[in-house]
Amino acid sequence: MRRYEMLLLITDRIDEEAAIAAFDRAKAILAEQGGTLLEDAWWGRRKLGYEIEKRDHGFYGVLDFEATPEAVSELERLMKIADDIVRFKTVRPEVRIRRSA
Amino acid sequence: MASKSAPKKERRPRKDRPCPICSQGIEYIDYKDLALLKQFLNERAKIKARRTSGACAACQAKLSAAVKNAREMALIPYTTR
Repeated sequence: MRRYEMLLLITDRIDEEAAIAAFDRAKAILAEQGGTLLEDAWWGRRKLGYEIEKRDHGFYGVLDFEATPEAVSELERLMKIADDIVRFKTVRPEVRIRRSA
Repeated sequence: MASKSAPKKERRPRKDRPCPICSQGIEYIDYKDLALLKQFLNERAKIKARRTSGACAACQAKLSAAVKNAREMALIPYTTR
């Protein structure tokens, strides 16, 4: 199990409720893959730094979790397929792992 | 025959300024920490040069990686006109 952190950018073509539902779907996939969610944060609707798909706002959510590398690649694969997910980024916050260990 | 040598410019000695990141005790530069990253962007949202930002080589490298991550996620613009 490794510590990961994933930031999701969800389209604002759907309303906030639907966006949160999309975010929850990501959490459900993570749980299915045997990952443990440590923390999640919903940033809400924010202005984008630049226009993406003719939209200048989007919903952001962060997942902080522990999972196997395989689980992460499966989660990423499904995020690529999901229509509501505009972008996502998974990072391994190195120093913070060492601190918590 | 006076040899024409350009007068040497006097350089003021460089002041030692500590790296603004190391001196704050930041070990991990989070690309989501926009308040931190914005200090190292100029008004066109470009990354400041090291001579301007004052960051040490290691910090500047981590910083630029963080800025690029933030740009990919549209947290900050690539550039503004």
